[in-house]
Amino acid sequence: MKEFMAVLRNGLSLENPLTVLMIGLCSTLAVSAKFEGSLFMGIAVIFVLVMSNVLISAVRRFTPDEVRIPIFIVIIAAFVTIVDLVLKGYFPSVYSFLGVWIPLIVVNCIVLGRAEAFAYHNGVVLSIADGIGMGVGYTIIISGLGAFRELFGSGKLVFLQHTLVSFGSAYRGPNILLLFPGAFLLFGLIVAGSRALNKRLMARKEAV
Amino acid sequence: MHAVTQLMLLLVGAALVNNILLTRFIALCSFFGISDNMHTSIGMSLAVIFVMMLASTATWIAYYGMLVPLGVGEFLYIPAFILVIAALVQFVEMYLRKYSPALYRAMGIYLPLITTNCAVLAAATEAVKPGFFKMNMAYNFTLGENLIYTLGVAVGYGFALLCFTALRERLDLAPVPDALKGIPMAFIAAALLSIGYIGLGSLFGL
Repeated sequence: MKEFMAVLRNGLSLENPLTVLMIGLCSTLAVSAKFEGSLFMGIAVIFVLVMSNVLISAVRRFTPDEVRIPIFIVIIAAFVTIVDLVLKGYFPSVYSFLGVWIPLIVVNCIVLGRAEAFAYHNGVVLSIADGIGMGVGYTIIISGLGAFRELFGSGKLVFLQHTLVSFGSAYRGPNILLLFPGAFLLFGLIVAGSRALNKRLMARKEAV
Repeated sequence: MHAVTQLMLLLVGAALVNNILLTRFIALCSFFGISDNMHTSIGMSLAVIFVMMLASTATWIAYYGMLVPLGVGEFLYIPAFILVIAALVQFVEMYLRKYSPALYRAMGIYLPLITTNCAVLAAATEAVKPGFFKMNMAYNFTLGENLIYTLGVAVGYGFALLCFTALRERLDLAPVPDALKGIPMAFIAAALLSIGYIGLGSLFGL
Protein backbone atom coordinates (compact mmCIF):
# COMPACT_ATOMS: atom_id res chain seq x y z
CA MET A 1 0.00 0.00 0.00
CA LYS A 2 2.86 2.34 0.86
CA GLU A 3 4.53 1.51 -2.43
CA PHE A 4 1.24 2.15 -4.23
CA MET A 5 1.01 5.64 -2.76
CA ALA A 6 4.67 6.38 -3.51
CA VAL A 7 4.24 5.47 -7.18
CA LEU A 8 1.03 7.47 -7.31
CA ARG A 9 2.67 10.54 -5.85
CA ASN A 10 5.67 10.30 -8.14
CA GLY A 11 3.54 11.13 -11.15
CA LEU A 12 2.15 14.19 -9.47
CA SER A 13 5.35 15.94 -8.50
CA LEU A 14 8.87 14.62 -8.89
CA GLU A 15 8.25 12.71 -12.11
CA ASN A 16 5.41 14.78 -13.50
CA PRO A 17 5.26 13.83 -17.18
CA LEU A 18 4.86 17.38 -18.42
CA THR A 19 7.02 19.63 -16.31
CA VAL A 20 9.81 17.22 -15.39
CA LEU A 21 9.95 14.45 -17.97
CA MET A 22 8.93 16.86 -20.75
CA ILE A 23 6.86 14.34 -22.68
CA GLY A 24 3.40 14.65 -24.16
CA LEU A 25 3.84 18.35 -24.74
CA CYS A 26 2.07 18.66 -28.08
CA SER A 27 -1.44 17.94 -26.88
CA THR A 28 -0.94 20.01 -23.74
CA LEU A 29 -0.19 23.17 -25.60
CA ALA A 30 -2.69 22.60 -28.37
CA VAL A 31 -5.88 21.82 -26.49
CA SER A 32 -5.34 24.07 -23.48
CA ALA A 33 -7.08 27.06 -25.07
CA LYS A 34 -10.33 25.98 -23.41
CA PHE A 35 -10.95 24.55 -19.96
CA GLU A 36 -13.66 22.12 -21.07
CA GLY A 37 -11.62 20.63 -23.90
CA SER A 38 -8.49 20.28 -21.80
CA LEU A 39 -10.37 18.57 -18.96
CA PHE A 40 -11.87 16.03 -21.36
CA MET A 41 -8.46 15.49 -22.91
CA GLY A 42 -7.05 14.80 -19.44
CA ILE A 43 -9.79 12.30 -18.66
CA ALA A 44 -9.26 10.58 -22.02
CA VAL A 45 -5.55 10.27 -21.31
CA ILE A 46 -6.16 8.92 -17.78
CA PHE A 47 -8.50 6.28 -19.20
CA VAL A 48 -6.13 5.20 -21.98
CA LEU A 49 -3.10 5.27 -19.67
CA VAL A 50 -4.66 3.18 -16.89
CA MET A 51 -6.30 0.64 -19.18
CA SER A 52 -3.27 0.14 -21.41
CA ASN A 53 -0.95 -0.03 -18.38
CA VAL A 54 -3.14 -2.77 -16.86
CA LEU A 55 -3.32 -4.82 -20.06
CA ILE A 56 0.35 -4.45 -20.94
CA SER A 57 1.41 -5.36 -17.44
CA ALA A 58 -0.95 -8.36 -17.46
CA VAL A 59 0.46 -9.78 -20.70
CA ARG A 60 4.09 -8.84 -20.07
CA ARG A 61 5.12 -12.45 -19.40
CA PHE A 62 3.89 -13.62 -22.82
CA THR A 63 5.21 -10.65 -24.76
CA PRO A 64 8.35 -11.40 -26.77
CA ASP A 65 10.92 -8.66 -26.33
CA GLU A 66 11.46 -8.11 -30.06
CA VAL A 67 7.89 -7.24 -30.95
CA ARG A 68 6.86 -5.48 -27.75
CA ILE A 69 6.52 -2.02 -29.30
CA PRO A 70 4.00 -3.06 -31.99
CA ILE A 71 2.05 -4.95 -29.32
CA PHE A 72 1.99 -1.90 -27.05
CA ILE A 73 0.85 0.29 -29.91
CA VAL A 74 -1.99 -2.02 -30.92
CA ILE A 75 -3.23 -2.24 -27.30
CA ILE A 76 -3.08 1.54 -26.94
CA ALA A 77 -4.76 2.10 -30.31
CA ALA A 78 -7.66 -0.13 -29.25
CA PHE A 79 -8.36 1.97 -26.14
CA VAL A 80 -7.93 5.21 -28.08
CA THR A 81 -10.52 4.00 -30.57
CA ILE A 82 -12.94 3.46 -27.68
CA VAL A 83 -12.39 7.03 -26.48
CA ASP A 84 -12.71 8.32 -30.06
CA LEU A 85 -16.10 6.69 -30.59
CA VAL A 86 -17.48 7.51 -27.11
CA LEU A 87 -16.61 11.21 -27.39
CA LYS A 88 -18.00 11.36 -30.91
CA GLY A 89 -21.25 9.77 -29.77
CA TYR A 90 -21.89 11.56 -26.50
CA PHE A 91 -19.94 14.85 -26.60
CA PRO A 92 -19.88 15.99 -30.24
CA SER A 93 -18.91 19.59 -29.39
CA VAL A 94 -15.90 18.44 -27.36
CA TYR A 95 -15.01 15.99 -30.11
CA SER A 96 -14.92 18.67 -32.76
CA PHE A 97 -12.76 20.89 -30.53
CA LEU A 98 -10.24 18.15 -29.74
CA GLY A 99 -10.21 16.89 -33.33
CA VAL A 100 -6.99 15.23 -34.38
CA TRP A 101 -5.73 15.12 -30.80
CA ILE A 102 -7.86 12.11 -29.95
CA PRO A 103 -6.25 9.80 -32.53
CA LEU A 104 -2.91 11.33 -31.63
CA ILE A 105 -3.15 9.92 -28.09
CA VAL A 106 -1.81 6.73 -29.72
CA VAL A 107 1.54 8.37 -30.31
CA ASN A 108 1.40 10.41 -27.11
CA CYS A 109 4.81 9.86 -25.59
CA ILE A 110 3.35 9.62 -22.08
CA VAL A 111 1.27 6.53 -22.84
CA LEU A 112 3.91 4.65 -24.81
CA GLY A 113 6.65 5.86 -22.50
CA ARG A 114 4.94 4.56 -19.35
CA ALA A 115 4.14 1.25 -21.06
CA GLU A 116 7.80 0.80 -21.88
CA ALA A 117 9.33 2.25 -18.73
CA PHE A 118 6.89 1.06 -16.09
CA ALA A 119 4.07 -1.34 -17.04
CA TYR A 120 6.37 -3.73 -18.87
CA HIS A 121 8.48 -4.28 -15.75
CA ASN A 122 5.94 -4.04 -12.92
CA GLY A 123 2.85 -5.78 -11.60
CA VAL A 124 -0.75 -4.91 -12.44
CA VAL A 125 -1.55 -3.07 -9.18
CA LEU A 126 1.50 -0.83 -9.31
CA SER A 127 0.82 -0.16 -12.99
CA ILE A 128 -2.64 1.10 -12.07
CA ALA A 129 -1.06 3.46 -9.54
CA ASP A 130 1.43 4.65 -12.12
CA GLY A 131 -1.34 5.20 -14.69
CA ILE A 132 -3.46 7.19 -12.27
CA GLY A 133 -0.52 9.22 -10.96
CA MET A 134 0.85 10.11 -14.39
CA GLY A 135 -2.62 10.72 -15.81
CA VAL A 136 -3.71 12.98 -12.96
CA GLY A 137 -0.38 14.82 -13.05
CA TYR A 138 -1.02 15.47 -16.73
CA THR A 139 -4.64 16.47 -16.18
CA ILE A 140 -3.86 18.96 -13.40
CA ILE A 141 -1.34 20.84 -15.52
CA ILE A 142 -3.38 20.76 -18.72
CA SER A 143 -6.72 21.75 -17.20
CA GLY A 144 -5.07 24.40 -15.02
CA LEU A 145 -3.44 25.86 -18.11
CA GLY A 146 -6.77 25.65 -19.95
CA ALA A 147 -8.68 27.35 -17.13
CA PHE A 148 -6.12 30.15 -16.88
CA ARG A 149 -6.00 30.80 -20.60
CA GLU A 150 -9.77 30.76 -21.05
CA LEU A 151 -10.54 32.80 -17.94
CA PHE A 152 -8.02 35.58 -18.48
CA GLY A 153 -8.03 35.44 -22.26
CA SER A 154 -11.76 35.63 -22.86
CA GLY A 155 -13.05 36.71 -19.44
CA LYS A 156 -15.27 33.75 -18.70
CA LEU A 157 -15.11 30.04 -17.96
CA VAL A 158 -17.58 27.78 -19.78
CA PHE A 159 -18.18 24.12 -19.01
CA LEU A 160 -20.73 22.18 -21.10
CA GLN A 161 -22.69 25.36 -21.92
CA HIS A 162 -22.75 26.55 -18.28
CA THR A 163 -20.82 29.71 -17.52
CA LEU A 164 -18.94 29.05 -14.29
CA VAL A 165 -17.16 32.38 -13.77
CA SER A 166 -17.46 35.60 -15.71
CA PHE A 167 -15.72 38.97 -15.53
CA GLY A 168 -18.61 40.66 -17.36
CA SER A 169 -18.80 41.73 -20.97
CA ALA A 170 -16.64 44.84 -20.48
CA TYR A 171 -13.53 42.68 -19.85
CA ARG A 172 -10.88 42.94 -22.55
CA GLY A 173 -8.28 40.28 -21.89
CA PRO A 174 -4.87 39.91 -23.47
CA ASN A 175 -5.72 38.16 -26.72
CA ILE A 176 -2.34 36.48 -26.89
CA LEU A 177 -3.37 34.04 -24.17
CA LEU A 178 -5.88 32.45 -26.54
CA LEU A 179 -3.41 32.22 -29.43
CA PHE A 180 -0.55 29.76 -29.88
CA PRO A 181 2.29 31.95 -28.55
CA GLY A 182 0.42 32.36 -25.26
CA ALA A 183 0.57 28.61 -24.72
CA PHE A 184 4.32 28.48 -25.27
CA LEU A 185 4.92 31.47 -23.05
CA LEU A 186 2.76 30.28 -20.14
CA PHE A 187 4.10 26.76 -20.30
CA GLY A 188 7.68 28.04 -20.22
CA LEU A 189 6.87 29.94 -17.04
CA ILE A 190 5.10 26.90 -15.51
CA VAL A 191 8.16 24.74 -16.17
CA ALA A 192 10.42 27.34 -14.61
CA GLY A 193 8.15 27.53 -11.55
CA SER A 194 7.86 23.80 -11.09
CA ARG A 195 11.62 23.42 -11.43
CA ALA A 196 12.17 25.87 -8.62
CA LEU A 197 9.55 24.02 -6.54
CA ASN A 198 11.07 20.60 -7.23
CA LYS A 199 14.49 21.86 -6.30
CA ARG A 200 13.11 22.84 -2.92
CA LEU A 201 11.37 19.43 -2.56
CA MET A 202 14.63 17.63 -3.34
CA ALA A 203 16.55 19.79 -0.86
CA ARG A 204 13.99 19.01 1.86
CA LYS A 205 14.20 15.30 1.07
CA GLU A 206 17.96 15.38 1.46
CA ALA A 207 17.76 17.34 4.70
CA VAL A 208 15.46 14.71 6.32
CA MET B 1 -4.73 26.96 -64.18
CA HIS B 2 -7.20 27.00 -61.36
CA ALA B 3 -6.12 23.55 -60.25
CA VAL B 4 -2.49 24.64 -60.11
CA THR B 5 -3.34 27.68 -57.97
CA GLN B 6 -5.28 25.44 -55.67
CA LEU B 7 -2.31 23.11 -55.27
CA MET B 8 0.06 26.01 -54.61
CA LEU B 9 -2.28 27.32 -51.93
CA LEU B 10 -2.41 23.88 -50.40
CA LEU B 11 1.39 23.68 -50.34
CA VAL B 12 1.98 27.14 -48.87
CA GLY B 13 -0.92 26.79 -46.49
CA ALA B 14 0.43 23.55 -45.12
CA ALA B 15 4.04 24.75 -44.91
CA LEU B 16 3.68 28.24 -43.47
CA VAL B 17 0.17 29.27 -42.45
CA ASN B 18 -0.75 26.02 -40.79
CA ASN B 19 2.80 25.19 -39.80
CA ILE B 20 2.65 21.89 -38.02
CA LEU B 21 5.11 22.78 -35.26
CA LEU B 22 4.45 26.38 -34.38
CA THR B 23 0.76 26.85 -35.07
CA ARG B 24 -0.58 23.34 -34.64
CA PHE B 25 1.70 22.14 -31.81
CA ILE B 26 2.19 18.74 -33.42
CA ALA B 27 5.50 16.87 -32.99
CA LEU B 28 6.76 19.15 -30.24
CA CYS B 29 8.64 16.35 -28.48
CA SER B 30 11.16 16.12 -31.29
CA PHE B 31 11.07 19.91 -31.69
CA PHE B 32 12.37 20.47 -28.17
CA GLY B 33 14.26 17.20 -27.92
CA ILE B 34 16.70 17.53 -30.81
CA SER B 35 16.79 21.23 -31.54
CA ASP B 36 19.97 21.95 -29.59
CA ASN B 37 22.26 20.81 -32.41
CA MET B 38 22.17 21.92 -36.05
CA HIS B 39 23.61 18.67 -37.36
CA THR B 40 20.92 16.45 -35.85
CA SER B 41 18.21 18.91 -36.87
CA ILE B 42 19.18 18.63 -40.52
CA GLY B 43 19.23 14.83 -40.35
CA MET B 44 15.85 14.73 -38.66
CA SER B 45 14.27 17.16 -41.14
CA LEU B 46 15.41 15.10 -44.11
CA ALA B 47 14.22 11.88 -42.51
CA VAL B 48 10.81 13.40 -41.74
CA ILE B 49 10.32 14.69 -45.30
CA PHE B 50 11.27 11.30 -46.71
CA VAL B 51 9.21 9.13 -44.36
CA MET B 52 6.19 11.41 -44.37
CA MET B 53 5.82 11.32 -48.15
CA LEU B 54 6.05 7.53 -48.15
CA ALA B 55 3.82 7.06 -45.14
CA SER B 56 0.97 9.27 -46.21
CA THR B 57 0.91 7.64 -49.65
CA ALA B 58 0.78 4.23 -48.01
CA THR B 59 -1.95 5.17 -45.53
CA TRP B 60 -4.01 6.86 -48.27
CA ILE B 61 -3.88 3.67 -50.33
CA ALA B 62 -4.65 1.54 -47.28
CA TYR B 63 -7.62 3.73 -46.39
CA TYR B 64 -9.27 3.88 -49.80
CA GLY B 65 -8.07 0.50 -51.05
CA MET B 66 -8.83 -1.57 -48.00
CA LEU B 67 -10.62 0.11 -45.09
CA VAL B 68 -13.34 1.91 -47.04
CA PRO B 69 -14.29 -1.03 -49.30
CA LEU B 70 -14.52 -3.22 -46.20
CA GLY B 71 -16.65 -0.59 -44.47
CA VAL B 72 -14.40 -0.24 -41.40
CA GLY B 73 -12.76 3.12 -42.15
CA GLU B 74 -14.62 4.85 -39.35
CA PHE B 75 -13.35 2.79 -36.44
CA LEU B 76 -10.23 0.98 -37.59
CA TYR B 77 -8.27 3.86 -39.08
CA ILE B 78 -6.23 4.59 -35.95
CA PRO B 79 -4.75 1.08 -35.46
CA ALA B 80 -4.44 0.55 -39.21
CA PHE B 81 -2.53 3.79 -39.83
CA ILE B 82 -0.13 3.38 -36.95
CA LEU B 83 0.66 -0.20 -38.02
CA VAL B 84 1.21 0.83 -41.64
CA ILE B 85 3.53 3.63 -40.51
CA ALA B 86 5.47 1.42 -38.08
CA ALA B 87 5.91 -1.35 -40.64
CA LEU B 88 6.91 1.09 -43.35
CA VAL B 89 9.55 2.75 -41.18
CA GLN B 90 10.98 -0.65 -40.33
CA PHE B 91 11.23 -1.57 -44.03
CA VAL B 92 12.80 1.75 -44.95
CA GLU B 93 15.38 1.26 -42.23
CA MET B 94 16.30 -2.25 -43.40
CA TYR B 95 16.40 -1.17 -47.04
CA LEU B 96 18.63 1.81 -46.36
CA ARG B 97 21.00 -0.19 -44.19
CA LYS B 98 21.50 -2.69 -47.01
CA TYR B 99 21.53 -0.52 -50.13
CA SER B 100 22.54 2.97 -49.08
CA PRO B 101 24.84 2.98 -46.07
CA ALA B 102 25.70 6.66 -46.52
CA LEU B 103 22.08 7.74 -46.34
CA TYR B 104 21.53 5.33 -43.48
CA ARG B 105 24.32 6.91 -41.48
CA ALA B 106 22.89 10.37 -42.15
CA MET B 107 19.39 9.65 -40.89
CA GLY B 108 19.42 6.11 -39.57
CA ILE B 109 18.99 6.79 -35.88
CA TYR B 110 16.08 9.15 -36.47
CA LEU B 111 14.01 6.62 -38.39
CA PRO B 112 12.69 4.60 -35.43
CA LEU B 113 11.89 7.84 -33.61
CA ILE B 114 9.67 8.92 -36.47
CA THR B 115 7.21 6.09 -35.80
CA THR B 116 6.09 7.91 -32.71
CA ASN B 117 6.43 11.33 -34.29
CA CYS B 118 2.89 12.65 -34.22
CA ALA B 119 3.45 14.66 -37.39
CA VAL B 120 3.35 11.57 -39.59
CA LEU B 121 0.13 10.22 -38.12
CA ALA B 122 -1.43 13.68 -38.10
CA ALA B 123 -0.73 14.32 -41.78
CA ALA B 124 -2.02 10.88 -42.70
CA THR B 125 -5.21 11.45 -40.69
CA GLU B 126 -5.76 14.88 -42.15
CA ALA B 127 -5.75 13.51 -45.69
CA VAL B 128 -8.74 11.27 -45.03
CA LYS B 129 -10.46 13.13 -42.17
CA PRO B 130 -10.19 16.73 -43.30
CA GLY B 131 -11.06 19.61 -41.02
CA PHE B 132 -9.07 18.25 -38.11
CA PHE B 133 -6.56 21.04 -38.62
CA LYS B 134 -9.42 23.45 -39.26
CA MET B 135 -8.00 24.37 -42.64
CA ASN B 136 -10.08 26.00 -45.34
CA MET B 137 -9.69 23.04 -47.65
CA ALA B 138 -12.20 20.81 -45.92
CA TYR B 139 -12.66 18.01 -48.39
CA ASN B 140 -11.20 14.58 -48.96
CA PHE B 141 -7.87 14.80 -50.74
CA THR B 142 -7.06 12.92 -53.91
CA LEU B 143 -3.74 11.09 -53.97
CA GLY B 144 -2.02 13.95 -55.82
CA GLU B 145 -3.33 16.60 -53.42
CA ASN B 146 -2.36 14.38 -50.56
CA LEU B 147 1.24 14.26 -51.81
CA ILE B 148 1.44 18.04 -52.26
CA TYR B 149 -0.12 18.60 -48.86
CA THR B 150 2.28 16.20 -47.15
CA LEU B 151 5.25 17.81 -48.87
CA GLY B 152 4.09 21.16 -47.53
CA VAL B 153 3.69 19.84 -44.01
CA ALA B 154 7.09 18.15 -44.04
CA VAL B 155 8.96 21.12 -45.51
CA GLY B 156 7.24 23.41 -43.02
CA TYR B 157 8.40 21.10 -40.24
CA GLY B 158 11.99 21.15 -41.46
CA PHE B 159 12.06 24.91 -41.94
CA ALA B 160 10.66 25.68 -38.49
CA LEU B 161 12.99 23.16 -36.87
CA LEU B 162 16.08 24.66 -38.49
CA CYS B 163 15.01 28.22 -37.56
CA PHE B 164 14.47 27.20 -33.98
CA THR B 165 17.75 25.30 -33.76
CA ALA B 166 19.65 28.34 -34.97
CA LEU B 167 17.90 30.41 -32.31
CA ARG B 168 18.65 27.93 -29.56
CA GLU B 169 22.33 27.67 -30.39
CA ARG B 170 22.57 31.43 -29.81
CA LEU B 171 20.40 31.23 -26.72
CA ASP B 172 22.87 28.96 -24.96
CA LEU B 173 25.32 31.84 -24.82
CA ALA B 174 22.82 34.44 -23.62
CA PRO B 175 22.65 35.49 -19.96
CA VAL B 176 19.21 34.43 -18.65
CA PRO B 177 17.90 33.99 -15.06
CA ASP B 178 18.80 30.67 -13.43
CA ALA B 179 15.27 29.27 -13.23
CA LEU B 180 14.66 29.96 -16.92
CA LYS B 181 17.86 28.31 -18.17
CA GLY B 182 17.47 25.59 -20.80
CA ILE B 183 14.00 24.33 -21.61
CA PRO B 184 11.88 27.17 -20.11
CA MET B 185 13.83 29.74 -22.13
CA ALA B 186 13.41 27.58 -25.23
CA PHE B 187 9.65 27.74 -24.76
CA ILE B 188 9.73 31.51 -24.57
CA ALA B 189 11.85 31.67 -27.73
CA ALA B 190 9.32 29.38 -29.41
CA ALA B 191 6.55 31.76 -28.36
CA LEU B 192 8.30 34.65 -30.11
CA LEU B 193 8.91 32.57 -33.25
CA SER B 194 5.28 31.53 -33.21
CA ILE B 195 4.14 35.18 -33.11
CA GLY B 196 6.01 35.57 -36.39
CA TYR B 197 4.09 32.68 -37.89
CA ILE B 198 0.77 34.26 -36.91
CA GLY B 199 1.74 37.17 -39.13
CA LEU B 200 1.92 34.77 -42.07
CA GLY B 201 -1.73 33.87 -41.51
CA SER B 202 -3.00 36.99 -43.22
CA LEU B 203 -0.45 36.71 -46.03
CA PHE B 204 -2.57 34.86 -48.57
CA GLY B 205 -5.94 35.33 -46.97
CA LEU B 206 -5.90 31.70 -45.95
